[in-house]
Amino acid sequence: MNDQPPLLEVRGLSVRIRGAARNLVDEVSLELNAGETLCVVGESGCGKSLTALALMGLLSDPPLQLMGGKALFRGQNLLSLKRHNLQQMRGDQVAMIFQEPMTSLNPSLRIGEQIAETVRRHRGVSTADARARALEMLERVRIPAAGARLDAYPHELSGGMRQRAMIAMALANDPAVLIADEPTTALDVTIQAQILELMRGLLAETGAALILITHDLGVVAEMADRVAVMYAGRIVEVGAARAIFEDPQHPYTIGLMSSMPSFGDSGARLVTIPGVVPSATAMPPGCRFAPRCPFVEDACGAQPAAKAVGSDHMVACVRAPLGVAA
Amino acid sequence: MVEKLGAVAPAPEPEPERPAGNRALRKLRRSPAALFGGLLVTFFVVVAVLAPVLPIPGPAETDWGAVRKAPSMAHWFGTDEIGRDVLSRMIWGAQASLLAGVVSVVIAVLLGVPLGVLAGYARGWTDAVISRFTEALLATPFLILAIALAAFLGPSLTNAMIAIGLSAMPIFIRLARAQTMSVLTEDYVESAHAVGVGHLALVWRYVLPNIFPPILVQATLTIATAIIAEASLSFLGLGQQPPAPSWGSMLNIAKNFLEQAPWMALWPGMAIFLVVLGFNLLGDGLRDALDPRDT
Repeated sequence: MNDQPPLLEVRGLSVRIRGAARNLVDEVSLELNAGETLCVVGESGCGKSLTALALMGLLSDPPLQLMGGKALFRGQNLLSLKRHNLQQMRGDQVAMIFQEPMTSLNPSLRIGEQIAETVRRHRGVSTADARARALEMLERVRIPAAGARLDAYPHELSGGMRQRAMIAMALANDPAVLIADEPTTALDVTIQAQILELMRGLLAETGAALILITHDLGVVAEMADRVAVMYAGRIVEVGAARAIFEDPQHPYTIGLMSSMPSFGDSGARLVTIPGVVPSATAMPPGCRFAPRCPFVEDACGAQPAAKAVGSDHMVACVRAPLGVAA
Repeated sequence: MVEKLGAVAPAPEPEPERPAGNRALRKLRRSPAALFGGLLVTFFVVVAVLAPVLPIPGPAETDWGAVRKAPSMAHWFGTDEIGRDVLSRMIWGAQASLLAGVVSVVIAVLLGVPLGVLAGYARGWTDAVISRFTEALLATPFLILAIALAAFLGPSLTNAMIAIGLSAMPIFIRLARAQTMSVLTEDYVESAHAVGVGHLALVWRYVLPNIFPPILVQATLTIATAIIAEASLSFLGLGQQPPAPSWGSMLNIAKNFLEQAPWMALWPGMAIFLVVLGFNLLGDGLRDALDPRDT
């Protein structure tokens, strides 16, 4: 895209359950440029969330274990940070928003205090200043009557409001990278649209880069600058959102795209991908999509290397690039 | 699927104005049993606090002209074997009982909760050591342990309170450990990690407030147990020392005069029964009121 090094560069990230034979997240490599939104898509259990948790140093070990990889952020490897430095990094330069707004706030702490706490912790400002910052953040995420909500407990807010509060907390210290793990999945569709719109606005204001984890291609189309498609713990295709949507190369991506309902062809059956994701214990040795792939061939028995098929478009499939008239 | 819905107007939200503790309090007030328990406890507390100003003879004042007299207008609850007013001794004895109940539970909570939180938070070796220690204490019946400790420390009300507090401590270690472990699996703890909250802040602002309700319930119920334990120790002569009054030691003396002066045993027995009932009902009510599953 440009000559600047990426803001966050993940190389060969692997995670497995202690003692397991195969990795749940296998050799994942990603690049996140300043200010861009990278969507990580894939079905449940493909390792999207594990990837995010690993980046935040939040893997619960045991049972999970980081098997290797690097995540370079401003010259530091996030994966090898000492606990103390990690705590300083989290919530300050890298912040995370979780899926469940209903349970992700401390029920016995007022909203304002929770936000102020992260500000105080990372900026060392006075209680009054931290509270002022919390109020400012609540106003920025457009929580009505923000002054009154500052002293509300989480159970007094609706799901949408709580997710706004979570966003306020995550952005309170102006992080350079925000990781959002299915931030709208637990919300209904209208609230979801509001939250996404809000996040876009805030990202544009603050210039933060976003890693958005989702299984919802509608959300991807709305938000993504770049897209990484994950399947069974591996990145199968990554590139500019436009390239992925207009010219998907990996059979899995193609399957995903065509399984998305659209307005045009009502009445037609949706395309489905036969079979299920292989379980972690029964991962095929080569391409992990091979057992479900309609185009499988002998070469699929070995792990295909990622190939560039465009200026910002990589695919891990032996058949790529697909010929125009293939 | 996600069409733009125009401007991001602030979502219309009903104004929810309800301080957090109110729901539990309202539920507590709706329970007749808990109310009754609360009344009993309040009554004994008020009486014990007012002991110095009530128009009653001193608890150690003897009247050799009125030895073992049945209840009358002069001595509502009768007199004991050396002519002391039983009502006065009951009222002053309430101080000892309530004090012993509350102080020993405070000791148990102040020692037990930090140990339990530490075990549940640190896990590993720390947890193993604390848990084995707790199990060893729990293997000994509560009262036996209290008696042994009190005998070891020497007979006095203070030592009885320490002994009861130490004996009640393992329950709080266990409870706090289990509750801590359960709170640590909550999403909000993970999100606290994600914003860089440190260990101390996590324990202080995330773990402790959220394990408070069950600890409060257990503490209330344990006060009842502790009061019985104090009465038992005093009955055995290991608690409050004569001539200072205590319901337990009053019972001990009364057992010698059951046939001649049954009132000497009746009042302390009834008082222990009622105050323990009160704390138990209150504790049960609190447990129901603070139960998040049942709204």
